[in-house]
Amino acid sequence: MTTPALIIQDLSYRYRTRQTLALHNCTFTASPGQIILIAGASGCGKTTLMRCINGLIPRSYKGGELAGRIEVLGQDPAAMSLAAISQLVGTLLQDPEKQIVGSYVLNEVAFGLENLGIPRPEIVRRVDETLAYLGISHLRDRETFALSGGEKQKVALAGVLAMQPDILLLDEPLASLDPASVQETLRVIRRLAEGGKTVLLIEHRVEDVLHIAPDRVLYLEEGEQRFFGPVADFLELADPAQVKLPAEHSARRARPREQPLPPPVPPADPQAPALVQFEDVHFWYTPERPVLHGVSAAIRAGDVIALLGANGAGKSTLVKHAICLLRPRQGRVLVANEDTRKVTAAQTARTVGYVFQSPTHMLFAPTVREELAFGPQNIGFTAAEVTENVAHALRVVNLQGLEETPPLSLSFGQQRRVGIAAILAMRSQILVMDEPTSGQDYRNYTGFMDAILAMRAQGNGAAPFQAVLFITHDIDLAVAYANRIWLFHDGRLAADGPPEEVLATDDLLQRCRVAPSSLVRLNRRLLPQTGRYRRAEALAPLLASS
Amino acid sequence: MLVNWNYKERDTIVQKLDPRARLIFILLAIVAIILTWDLRILLLWLVLALLSLRLAKLTWKEMRRFWLVVLPIITFLVILTALTGRGGEEAYSEQHPLWQGTWILFGRTFSPSISIEQLFFAASQFARMLSMASLGLLIPFTTHPARYGVAFKGLGLSDKFAFATDLAFRFVPTLGRDFQTVLDAQRARGYEVERLGGGLAQQARNLAPLVIPITIGAILGAEDIIDAMDLRAFGTHKRTWVIELVYQHRDHWLIAAGVLLLGLTILLRSLGVIHFWTGIGIQ
Repeated sequence: MTTPALIIQDLSYRYRTRQTLALHNCTFTASPGQIILIAGASGCGKTTLMRCINGLIPRSYKGGELAGRIEVLGQDPAAMSLAAISQLVGTLLQDPEKQIVGSYVLNEVAFGLENLGIPRPEIVRRVDETLAYLGISHLRDRETFALSGGEKQKVALAGVLAMQPDILLLDEPLASLDPASVQETLRVIRRLAEGGKTVLLIEHRVEDVLHIAPDRVLYLEEGEQRFFGPVADFLELADPAQVKLPAEHSARRARPREQPLPPPVPPADPQAPALVQFEDVHFWYTPERPVLHGVSAAIRAGDVIALLGANGAGKSTLVKHAICLLRPRQGRVLVANEDTRKVTAAQTARTVGYVFQSPTHMLFAPTVREELAFGPQNIGFTAAEVTENVAHALRVVNLQGLEETPPLSLSFGQQRRVGIAAILAMRSQILVMDEPTSGQDYRNYTGFMDAILAMRAQGNGAAPFQAVLFITHDIDLAVAYANRIWLFHDGRLAADGPPEEVLATDDLLQRCRVAPSSLVRLNRRLLPQTGRYRRAEALAPLLASS
Repeated sequence: MLVNWNYKERDTIVQKLDPRARLIFILLAIVAIILTWDLRILLLWLVLALLSLRLAKLTWKEMRRFWLVVLPIITFLVILTALTGRGGEEAYSEQHPLWQGTWILFGRTFSPSISIEQLFFAASQFARMLSMASLGLLIPFTTHPARYGVAFKGLGLSDKFAFATDLAFRFVPTLGRDFQTVLDAQRARGYEVERLGGGLAQQARNLAPLVIPITIGAILGAEDIIDAMDLRAFGTHKRTWVIELVYQHRDHWLIAAGVLLLGLTILLRSLGVIHFWTGIGIQ
């Protein structure tokens, strides 16, 4: 047996400002050429473990309590400088946007080598080698900020690989990628392991990682190690509410719920009046590069629409037309039967409420109450109505009691809920969300989506909105919640219909750079019995009987 | 992540010059301009500065946004100085009045006056500021974004400060992008920047929905950058800069020209040849 590259023994850590341990009972080893999948829900201690190995703990996070043993290639990182560790352990942060510091690809990939004072010809040689290895030599002289999400990910990885570390820590490398880029990234990771690197891959999208057959899985729950061993055993033990397992495993292993599963959303009435109507919408920033080529569609009361498609397909651009942030260059958009050329964003806000992806882009008020009152006040509700709307929105997102708290002091998950409530308080008829679940684990996001859709189902005019539209890369989210899918490709609406139709064949999906998941395949197989696509837990009884 | 200036590679003599040589020349030229109050010389500087914009092949369309901000500021400052009559006292002691008026504003009496000295002072001030702005404008438009760090390193800054200038130059366009995102998010909540009214204090408060998210975002972004730099050993060794700048003959000539112009300015100033000039006494 080869000597382990990494030994972790009884590792525990407590942050300076916290009472409880962020990580404890952690013991495992990793050998060269192995891929170790580190799985667990948000807050399970994955990121803390990573920081202990790459030396940010205790160097950048001071004053905490670190106990146990870490051995990186036979050395104790506590006795090493960050520069020395960085040559043994390469870290790819979750969001490549946060990792890239160089203005051009060449500078970015060379950055670590420059800092180590390596001679210039050697740096250039290593940069070119690394770019060639990842198949991105053509990006060498491009500006980093203008790259696509998948390209950024590879450039960030190249910057880490150029330093030739033996151990790679990859923190949710798939989180910000579209499905086609996910497959490419996974292949690269496999190849790195075959080349002798030790790869620690943190990911809660377990299903995707299984394609490259990780050698071992480390499973964490609430800061504690629950399992370390082969994949097959892990699949028998993991909680499908915490990590995303293949659909059959999720369905079989779903724990009995306290509340029954909410029923699927029924299809909308095709005769219902259109709330928003896109008529042959064309849009471009520069005429040579059109973003939308003639999109026609309508959002009706009762619709729950998932917008799927690769990065850059035009999804966000279309949605911005519905709230007057953009106006069509050709064609027209009607919101509540008004041409958007004649109204302002504030006027459309009564019809369409748009929740931006990151709450940090919108939160500003000294208290949650004022934050939520901002929108309804802007669009002309009376003081009494504002008070009522705010109270209602707080109940919906379950943040009562925090009215007087500054929103910026809340946790990121709570800030997201404040962000949603701020839109709900405007009582818009359509709720539009951009990547509502990105970076959240399965348990968090199903809970959240269930709550949103439960609101929709409240009948007799009490429903806070009549239609929902969400942009997502997660095809399973569309399967579980949408009654209609808009599939985007290259600025065009490639398909518009119920999930059972749009997701029925691989051809169309692959053409649109969308990868079918195991849940889609399972649903196709069970469709004769179910009559419509359902989430994994709902399929459990059928699997048990078959 | 940080966004670059909208930079375009152009085949011009200005861009072919080494960025260090250009920074040194611009620095020397600005010092020389600051030392000069002679309108005849200042007009020469202005011609030189505008000529260099022309040599760099910058189009009006590209520079429009910059000038739309800078020109009103310069004009405002010049008019303010001219009307208040301040700022020129050390340049001239005697005045030849041209016009004297009496205005009554808000129940107070103002008696603005214009003299030949004031007019020439204003013209000189205008030429000075315009020349300096034009020279300064050359830097972001003609310096390849990947070369800021190494150029400042070449001027003798430490590795850390040199890399900080690289980050700082990208900070401005990054703020611009974040501003747009935040503005969009708030407009979706019915916020209308055009309709803001009220007194000065109220208007400042009305900007909070923009200013606070942008500021918080910038602070969080800075923390991310620090972590990312730490993880790749920034500041632990003497740095190699992957881009190498090599002085050519023309760069030495440019620096020599800058030194010569500044030296000449200092010499002529001390000899009293160049001084505040109004043309009075020529005839």
